Amino acid sequence: MNQIEYTNENIKFLKDIFRKYYFENKYFPYLYSIEKREFGYRKFDSLVVRHLSFKNIGELVVELVRNVPLDVYYSNAYYGFPSNPINEKQWEGADLIFDIDIKDLNIPCFHEHTYYICNLCGFVNSEQKLCVNCNKGKTYDISIPCKRCFTAIKKEAAKLLEFLRSDLGIEEKFIEVFFSGNAGFHFHVNDPGMRNLDSNSRSSVTDYIIGNGFMCESIGVRKYRNGFMIKLPKSGIMNGWRKKIASSFGINQKSELKLKHLVEASGGYDGFRNEINRITKKFGVHIDSQVTNDIHRVFRLPGSINGKSGLTKTKCDDLESFNPNNDACMLDDSEVYINLKTKLKINLKNNNFKLDNVLEKVPSYVAVYLVCKGLATISKNQ
Amino acid sequence: MSIKLGSSELAKYPFLQEASDYIQETKFDFAEFDRPEMIHIINRAVEKLENELKGKIYSNLDEYEIEIMTFLVSLLLIKSIGLEEVSKKCSLFEAMRVERFLSTDLSVERSSQKKKLLVQKIFQDLFDINIDVDSTSSICKLSVPDYLLRASKMYEQEWKLINRSVKDGYVYLDTDEAVRLIRNELSNLIYTRVKNMKVYEVPILIKSKADELRKKYSGRYVYRNQFKILEYPPCIKHAMEIINKGENLPHSARFMLATYMLAIGKTEEEVIEIFKNSPDYNEKITRYQVEHLAGKKGSHIKYSVPSCDRLRSEDLCFAVKECENLINPIQFGRRKLT
Repeated sequence: MNQIEYTNENIKFLKDIFRKYYFENKYFPYLYSIEKREFGYRKFDSLVVRHLSFKNIGELVVELVRNVPLDVYYSNAYYGFPSNPINEKQWEGADLIFDIDIKDLNIPCFHEHTYYICNLCGFVNSEQKLCVNCNKGKTYDISIPCKRCFTAIKKEAAKLLEFLRSDLGIEEKFIEVFFSGNAGFHFHVNDPGMRNLDSNSRSSVTDYIIGNGFMCESIGVRKYRNGFMIKLPKSGIMNGWRKKIASSFGINQKSELKLKHLVEASGGYDGFRNEINRITKKFGVHIDSQVTNDIHRVFRLPGSINGKSGLTKTKCDDLESFNPNNDACMLDDSEVYINLKTKLKINLKNNNFKLDNVLEKVPSYVAVYLVCKGLATISKNQ
Repeated sequence: MSIKLGSSELAKYPFLQEASDYIQETKFDFAEFDRPEMIHIINRAVEKLENELKGKIYSNLDEYEIEIMTFLVSLLLIKSIGLEEVSKKCSLFEAMRVERFLSTDLSVERSSQKKKLLVQKIFQDLFDINIDVDSTSSICKLSVPDYLLRASKMYEQEWKLINRSVKDGYVYLDTDEAVRLIRNELSNLIYTRVKNMKVYEVPILIKSKADELRKKYSGRYVYRNQFKILEYPPCIKHAMEIINKGENLPHSARFMLATYMLAIGKTEEEVIEIFKNSPDYNEKITRYQVEHLAGKKGSHIKYSVPSCDRLRSEDLCFAVKECENLINPIQFGRRKLT
C-alpha cells in the first residue's frame, strides 16, 4: 500500500529526488539476464504497470528517469518473451527467493515504534481502531524498525543462510543477500540447479526452512494400534531436520530404547508430536512462504528505491556489520522543511534526529523517509 | 572388464534400449504374431493386462525372450484397445512391477558394478537423474533438485523434504524409496511409448484379443460422480468467520475461499457476495478477481483450490480429525449424489 499523502509538494519533491538518484546510479550490478526478465513498477498514484521488458540496463534507466516510479520490480523468472501476457511468456526457470520481514518475527518492541495512520484524514493514531480525529477512517500501521528489530532479523537471516548452505548445499557464490529497503531481507538464490523447480517443489523447500510438517515417523516413531512403535528409518536420523530433532532429544541411530522412553515420557505418540512441533518452531526460520513458492512473482529491483521508506534495496555482504539505516540510505542531504504528523526520533546515515515540532528543517533523506512512511508532508513554505 | 546387463535384467526391464536392440537383431516381424506358437505369448500378455486392470501387479517372470515379446504384445494390445483409462492403469501397474524388481535388485545385488549399471541404465539414461548407491548400505544419494522435482508430484506428507535425510545438497533414500520416486516417470514412459506407437496393421490374433478386452472394459471407468457438500472444511469456516467479523483476509485466504466456493458450484455473484463484508471491499476489483479465478477473465484459466499441503505452508490450515488423509479441502464433507 502506498502511504504517501498525495499532495503536489510531496509528489514533486519525491519525484525530483528519485529521478536524480536513478540518473546518478544507473548501474544495477546485481541484475542478471535483463533481457529475460519481466519488469514492472508502481507509479506515485499507486497504479501498477507490468509486463515490461528491456534489452539492456540503458533502456531500463531511461524508463526510470523518464517515468520516475515509486517502486521498481523485476521477475524472479526468466522468460522467452517477458513482455507477453503471463500464459504466453514461455517460462524458462526462476531464481529462488526468500523474504524475511521484521513484522513476522513478533519482536516485543515492534509496537513501541508502530504508528496507526488514518486512511481518510492521514491522522496518526496511537492504536489500531477507528480514527480518533475524523471518526470515519480505518487505520493502517507503519513501523520504524529499531536497532533491536534489525538485530533480531539478522539472527533470523543467519539461520536461513545456514539452511541454504548446509542442508540445501547451495554454494556461496549463488546466494545474494539484500536489505529490502524497509523492514526485511531478501535472499536471491540464482543456482542454475534450483532454477527449474516448480511451485510445489519450492513449497517443499519453504516447509523445510520453516519447519512445517515434520512427521514423528521420520525419526522412527510410528503409530501402532492404540500406541506407538519404534522403527528407525534405514536412511538414518543423523542428517537434516532428523538430526536437529535427534540432537534436541540427545539420541542417535542406536538409541531405540531411549527414544521409546522419551515417547512414553511425553505421553505417547501425540505428546511426542507436540514436543517435535515445539522444536521445529524453535529451529525453523520465519520466511514468507508465498514469496518463495511463486514462480511468476515480481520482486523489488536490487539498487532501486523502496517507496515505503526511501531507502535502497542494498546488497549486504556482511550481515553482522550491515547497518540498514546507514548503508541503504543513499539520498541527498540538502535541507527541506517538513510538516510532521507526530513527534518522533530516528537515526539515519548515523545521525540522530529528535523531531518534536510540527515544522522541522531536515536533510532530504530524512524528509523522503518520513513522507514515504506517511508521517510527514513537504511544507508548502520552503 | 565391462559389465553388461544380463538376460535376467532384460526380462525384468523390457523397456530398456537393450531389449529393443534384441528385437531388431532378431529381425522379428509383427506378422509372426499370427503364427500358432505365438498364442502362448499373446495369452500371457492378456493375462498380464487383466491382472493390471484388476489392480494387481503381475509378478510372474519368464525367460527374457518371452518377457520382451510379452511386453511388446502388451503395448500392442493397449494401443489397439484404445481406451485412455486402460493405457493409464496398465502403464502404472507395469511401472509398479518394474519397481518391485528394481528395488530388490538394488538391495540384494552383490556386484556393485552391476548395481551402478542398473542405476545408470534406468535412473540416468532414461530419466536424467544422477544417483549414487552405496555398495554396502544400499542407501541412494541424489541432489535436492532431482529429488524435489519428483517428490513434488507425491501427495503423502512423508515425501516432503523435511521428512527426508538431507545434507550438503543431497537427499538420502533407501532403495525402496529411490525406486518409488521414479514410479510416475516409469509409468509415463510406458504410456508415452504406447501413445507414440505407429502400428499400420495389428496382427489378427492381437486385434481380436484387443476387441474382446475393449468390450469388457469400456464403460467401467466412468467414475466422475456428482458430489454434494454437507459441511465446509475448517479452513473455509475460519476464513468465513474472519470475513463475517468484518476483518481483512490475507490475499492467499481470499484466493482459497473464492476458488473453493467456485469449485463447489457457487455462482460468481454468490462468491462476490461473500466478500462484501471485507473492510476493503471494492466491487469492481472483487468482480474482476472472482471472474479471473473462474477462468472468464485474463488468462482464461480456471484456478483450482489450493491443496491442503499448500494451505498448511501458508498457515491457512486449521485441520480437524476429519481432515486426516485429505489432500484438498474440496474432499471434506462431501457425499456422493446417488
